[in-house]
Amino acid sequence: MSSAQSIIDALCEKALHPDRTVAESCKQAGKEAVGFYLYAPEELAYAAGFLPVGIWGGSTEIKLADRYLQGFCCSIMRADIEYGMRGTYNRLRAVMLPTVCDTLKCICENWKVAVPQIPIIPVVYPQNRTLPSGEEYLREEFSRVRRELEDLAGRSVSDAELEAAFAVYETWREAMRAFTKAASTHPQTVHAKARHLIIKAGYFMDKAEHTREMTELTRLLAELPEEKCAVRAVATGLVGEPVGVLDILRENDVAIVADDLAQESRQFRVPARAEGDALSKMVWRIADQKGCPFLYEPEKTRGQKLIDLVKENEADAVITLQMKFCDPDEFDYPVYKAELEAAGIPLLYLEVEQQMDSFGQIGTRIQSLAEMLL
Amino acid sequence: MYLGIDIGSSSSKAALMDDERRILGTKIVNLGTGTKGVYEALENLYAEAGITREDVRYTVVTGYGRLLYKDADRQITEITCHARGMHFLMPRVRTVVDIGGQDSKVIRLDEDGTVRNFVMNEKCAAGTGRFLEVMARVLGCPIGELAVLAAQATQDVAISSVCTVFAESEVISQLSQGAHPNDVACGALRAVAKRVAGLCGRVGVEPEVAMSGGVALNATMVRILSEELGCGVTPAPDCQAVGAIGAALLAGEFYRKANPVETA
Repeated sequence: MSSAQSIIDALCEKALHPDRTVAESCKQAGKEAVGFYLYAPEELAYAAGFLPVGIWGGSTEIKLADRYLQGFCCSIMRADIEYGMRGTYNRLRAVMLPTVCDTLKCICENWKVAVPQIPIIPVVYPQNRTLPSGEEYLREEFSRVRRELEDLAGRSVSDAELEAAFAVYETWREAMRAFTKAASTHPQTVHAKARHLIIKAGYFMDKAEHTREMTELTRLLAELPEEKCAVRAVATGLVGEPVGVLDILRENDVAIVADDLAQESRQFRVPARAEGDALSKMVWRIADQKGCPFLYEPEKTRGQKLIDLVKENEADAVITLQMKFCDPDEFDYPVYKAELEAAGIPLLYLEVEQQMDSFGQIGTRIQSLAEMLL
Repeated sequence: MYLGIDIGSSSSKAALMDDERRILGTKIVNLGTGTKGVYEALENLYAEAGITREDVRYTVVTGYGRLLYKDADRQITEITCHARGMHFLMPRVRTVVDIGGQDSKVIRLDEDGTVRNFVMNEKCAAGTGRFLEVMARVLGCPIGELAVLAAQATQDVAISSVCTVFAESEVISQLSQGAHPNDVACGALRAVAKRVAGLCGRVGVEPEVAMSGGVALNATMVRILSEELGCGVTPAPDCQAVGAIGAALLAGEFYRKANPVETA
């Protein structure tokens, strides 16, 4: 019988070796992989018989990608292009990329030239995603993506298959919400790095398999006594990387007890509406996502969402993991900073990039936060 | 006795304190982390105080090189140590500006000297002592003379670039076009002051404002920063040793906490 720690170790191992994990997952499920970044209609790919695989860059030396994305572009997309050009992603039958920021808008054309061996399926989300016209547009857009995936698979995708795929994902999202809740009361067992890697492993595994592991882990965590830590923090930003930062958090006994990260909770925090078919539910999940800088929201509710997360999880502070040159995230920062200050919630701003190798100053900032709150 | 050590990127500082929180001495050596600077500072400090290493009950090390120094009982960040040191020296200070060789920081303090908030510059050297070192080299003067040159300026030469490398080219270009070195020196100080004022804006400035670190010895810099912030800025007494003094204070506190009977 598995222990919580053995499941955690296994999932961390999977997250740290994506190439191997994806190969195993494809073999186990008898599927081919389709890559995606940020928000993409994964359920469509799953329904078409593919294994959707997250491509969130990585800590690698950029040599080839400089031809298309200069040093002042998002380091995640630089790494994605680098991996694509280097052949690391050759297992992927296609990639689905959303056009939610300036870099991603350019990527779609760059990708065709830089990585010609892997077809790209752009996903263009509507600005006015909550209006009926925006929802109608997104339904059409998802239908186009569905047709492209059908062409790739060489077969049509039935509505029943899509409903089944959506159910797999909705069960996974529910399991992930339960896990993050359980993890917040076990900040030593599920420390910052483990929490990130456990969630990240889901990007390289079949969602049904990841759901099974997460459900069991959540059950086992519930049997363990609750744990304390020096600082309980809420993380916000694009990704909780590089993992070197998470190591420093752990060294200073700072736990991430909740997150507002695009790679983590924003993927599963919005439950589906009860009504409608699978395609409508996918559209509404995008419409119902609040406080995400990659989806247009003039009301700017991110600050209040962070305040709510702090209260719900009895957190001591918010940590901004600002991916260097991530414009949408940078535009949000002054807005929620002011709101957090008004609410008396300490905020630590850390500018990060995937290819960073010096953590000295970040270590000082994290340690200072811990000293400030003790 | 309690020892505080602050190992910065360009200098090493040490302070000694007794049980009554009297400063018994401070020493500064202009050699930073990875050098023998800290050992030289300690040797001088012990010799001046007439003590040996065995007389020190507890040591706290801080600064950029704190993690490499293995002879301390505990390491604490420079943010906390500068805050404690400044509150001890100037209890009415609520905003601390420390321009170090490698980074700059602004610390907001509560009435009891605890850190309410802080901000540090990003990785780039603009707004740090390193920027001033580069400017002094281009102007062909020791860094200590930048203040003297700048004080004699008749006008600022605006340095528009925020990057140290580009600013160096810009200054060379200004000098080749006939700009007076005094005016260029003043422009360099203002460029740093503007950058630091920007940092201050991120945490908010609450008077009184004081400067710690070696750059606080530059009176022209203090004046220009005061102009940029629109409020008075005071250099701390023994400004270079503020972090080390804070570390020595904490050393005493940690020791007394661990040995309540002995120190009662």
